[in-house]
Amino acid sequence: MFANLTSLAGFDHPPILFLLQLLPAAGAGALLLIRREAWIFPLAVGVGVLELAGAIELFHLYDPLMSGWQWVEHQPLVGFFAYSAAADGMTVLFMLLTAFLTLMAVVYGRVRPFAPRNRFFAAVLASEAALMTQFATLDLLWFVLFSGVQTVLAGYLMHTWSDAPEEGPALTGYYQFMGIGHVLLLAGTILLGWIHADALHQGWRFDLPALMGAPIPILFQGSLFFLLFYGFGVRIPLFPLHGWLPAVAEHGTVAPALVFILGLKTGFFGLLRFVFPLLPGAVEQWSPYAAAFAAAGIFYAALLALMQGNLRRMMAYAVVSHTCIVTLGLFSLHSHAFLGSILLIANFGLAAATLFFMVGLVNRRTHTAVLDRLGGLFDRLPWIGLAFFAGGWAIVAMPGTPGFDAAHLMLEAAIHRFGALVTIAAALGNVTSASFLLWSFQRVFLAPPPEGAIAPRDLPQAVFLENLMAFSMIFLLLTAGFFSDPWLQLVESTANALAEPYAGVHAAGEVP
Amino acid sequence: MNPVDLASASASASGWPLLTLLIVLPMAAATGMRLVPHPRQARWAALLVALAEGVLACWIAAGVDPARAEFQQEEWAAWIPSLNIHYHVGVDGLSALFPPLTALLFIGVIVASWNAVQTLPRLHFALLLLLEGATMGVYLSLDLVLFFLFWELTLIPLYFLVSLWGVGPYRRYAANKYTLLMLTGGVPLLFGILLAASLHAGGEGAPASAWVFDLPTLMVQALPVEAQIPVFLLLFFGFAFKTPLFPLHTWLPTAAMEGPAGVAALLTGLKLGAYGILRVAIPLAPQGAMEMHWLLAGLGVFGIVYGALIALTQTNLRRMLAYSSISHVGMVVLAISSLTLEGVQGALFQLLNFPLAAGGIFLLAGWIQQRIGSTDWIHLGGLARGMPMAAVFFLFLGLTGMGMPGTSGFPAELLMLLGVFHTYTGAGLAALGGQILAAGYFLTAYRRAFFGPLTQPGPRQAKDLLSRELALMVVFSLVILAAGLHPALVLDFTRAASEAWIARLSPL
Repeated sequence: MFANLTSLAGFDHPPILFLLQLLPAAGAGALLLIRREAWIFPLAVGVGVLELAGAIELFHLYDPLMSGWQWVEHQPLVGFFAYSAAADGMTVLFMLLTAFLTLMAVVYGRVRPFAPRNRFFAAVLASEAALMTQFATLDLLWFVLFSGVQTVLAGYLMHTWSDAPEEGPALTGYYQFMGIGHVLLLAGTILLGWIHADALHQGWRFDLPALMGAPIPILFQGSLFFLLFYGFGVRIPLFPLHGWLPAVAEHGTVAPALVFILGLKTGFFGLLRFVFPLLPGAVEQWSPYAAAFAAAGIFYAALLALMQGNLRRMMAYAVVSHTCIVTLGLFSLHSHAFLGSILLIANFGLAAATLFFMVGLVNRRTHTAVLDRLGGLFDRLPWIGLAFFAGGWAIVAMPGTPGFDAAHLMLEAAIHRFGALVTIAAALGNVTSASFLLWSFQRVFLAPPPEGAIAPRDLPQAVFLENLMAFSMIFLLLTAGFFSDPWLQLVESTANALAEPYAGVHAAGEVP
Repeated sequence: MNPVDLASASASASGWPLLTLLIVLPMAAATGMRLVPHPRQARWAALLVALAEGVLACWIAAGVDPARAEFQQEEWAAWIPSLNIHYHVGVDGLSALFPPLTALLFIGVIVASWNAVQTLPRLHFALLLLLEGATMGVYLSLDLVLFFLFWELTLIPLYFLVSLWGVGPYRRYAANKYTLLMLTGGVPLLFGILLAASLHAGGEGAPASAWVFDLPTLMVQALPVEAQIPVFLLLFFGFAFKTPLFPLHTWLPTAAMEGPAGVAALLTGLKLGAYGILRVAIPLAPQGAMEMHWLLAGLGVFGIVYGALIALTQTNLRRMLAYSSISHVGMVVLAISSLTLEGVQGALFQLLNFPLAAGGIFLLAGWIQQRIGSTDWIHLGGLARGMPMAAVFFLFLGLTGMGMPGTSGFPAELLMLLGVFHTYTGAGLAALGGQILAAGYFLTAYRRAFFGPLTQPGPRQAKDLLSRELALMVVFSLVILAAGLHPALVLDFTRAASEAWIARLSPL
């Protein structure tokens, strides 16, 4: 699927991918220049809506039956630096999700005013642009650079607008972890570029088709795998590289920042886009180890989640627990597993984003996410409560949410690769996740407020935009869950292409 | 008969996709409950929908031809074609009587919560209707993923109903416990379904689009014999949580004590777990079930005796009823495990009897709780003085549960015992012993609660059943008497389907 790319270069179609990357960036620039307060929100919403419309249009134009890249754009710039973008089903799926979540983030910024507002909205739209670029690009170097940009933007959002007293140390940890992750990624990228230059003598290239064209010596495969895997692992975050997350989730009280980091899993996207196709040998060799860490991580994180006293911190562990489930699926290396994992990543992203937004709306009223200070909010904020519940239900991949079909495809593949015991254990780990979500839901929304807690009656009721947000998220979770066929079709060709290099794994027999 | 394709909007025998309507109507009403202008009107809206649902369910059952064993009035629509998962519903003699009785019980629950629900009434009735729709979906689904969807969908309303409107101080704990145990049960159930679907497609490596989730197709072509045991065990284990079978029953007494009266009636009256064993687990893996019949029988017998013994030691009416329900459902599982026509027809009869007898008696217990604030004997003693009508109906429904001649419990128990004796004599004796114990615990509890010494003013001054409650009990009792005095009504209806069910076990 990658070979025919270069022949398609020099594109004769409207550069829709380029526009999708440019529009939010331009919007961000315009917002910084704007002086009149009344124009800020309409402009931000306008860009958000337009971008979502563009992403939906891309979804309509994309032909899921055609394998290979579509809407290929390639433009050499300076030296080895080239613009190269294309879409497959996975790109379309993540672009849709990004556009939707950004629009929600903009609405959230209206509900919970972050001053100066133009800078807040500009940062949100710039994050969207960086994410869109990561999802569209075929160039590993671009991906890593924009991943850096997006990381810094999320840090900026938290640094500027977080109202927690201790966001400083949390952000320090965040930058340290992310910095190391990006250094590893950059080292891996440069090594790949050098291998290409050394093998083919065509100069330095970083785009996927070119990198696929150069054979990677066995000697380098293992080290490349670990450089990239760990690099992306920090971003995902993968157990045991998740150290930065709990503190960031607790103290970075800016929901859009958390949504951009945890709702859109660019780390997984990078693994799927670059590592799995480029290094099949190493992936296959190390998959049992990755799976073992993932299986341990599911329980480790689920148990730690049960012990947390802070709602956002608890959700951070929930995120770690479900990323481990996805990792277990990915390393099953089967087309069902890839299909399931990709959809599950999007589902977890949407569900986690819902949770973080809803907790943000609660936090706006209570100024705390400590479970001992919350209770009985359901009567006061029913829609926010229902959306929180729907998000929790989706994280457990219950039927009727987008994760259900995905999870069952993935588990089926995992059984064949790692055996029934590990897989059933993973599914039970998932039930553990359910237990902490149910428990926290009850604590925050249903149980009467404990002593010293904020009385729900004193809290302001939800305004229209908040209910609209809650309702849109519930609606999307349910419709995408009940009508999952389009999504399955959308990423099927991507999943098949990903599984191609691993056809031998399953033919050769099961790993005990 | 070919299923009606909903997408092409062709007409079924009666011209309407009635089964879909039966599922969708309460769910749509639940979503629309928000539009009811005044919260106090929510109960009227809910009652209206539940009545319509009852009429619809009776209409569907009347349209079923009991002489034909296959699925009827099928409706079909593509849902997730790339995974070969479809919307497929239908009824046969086995399932057709469940929706009317379920609808009746829901009407009862709505009437029972008429004045009991003061907070968020719209949400309460919306959740009840959602639960009704999901339950109907469980009875009617012929696609296993659809079945699983409805199966898990029942959890959400129950979770909220128990945690928000429960009567006990530990209601939130009860809701968590119930939901988590059911989710745990969902794991083996899902794996069993997936295993059956993929094995049917040729095992590992089969493309996802070849998996078969369609129940009629799976029933026609049996799985490889060696694969049937794991499939059966996974499904059986999954269903055992909801049935509930010992030792997975612990949620029931908690939920019955802490949950609202209506929910306790629904949890004991609707035995979805036993229905799942009958409808899905055994037909999908008949040889596996024949191999493992001792497990069903053993757990059934254990449940009968254990439930009865624990019920003997209880001092609270509702807790006693919860354990007696565990004992009764143990009998149903034992009868199913006999794999005889009598056993299956008896089990079906008893499952149909549960909404009336067990559901009805829990509604009564709920009304008592509402008036006295407790169902402990110590607070009740001599209740018959204040609530004579309640005492009459409590005894009648209790005797129905024990299988008194003249009530619908009698043919059910008799057939079950016949079936069990046919296959296992020892277990049959144990089951008889359970019956004697049942008389012991029920009559003791009844005597203490209704005819014990009057030590407190509460029971003497308690208001007897209101006219709407009385009307409900009369309807329940009339149905019980009709089925008890003329059991052929039910037996003729279920015979052909039961015979086909048994025939599927024979090919060995």
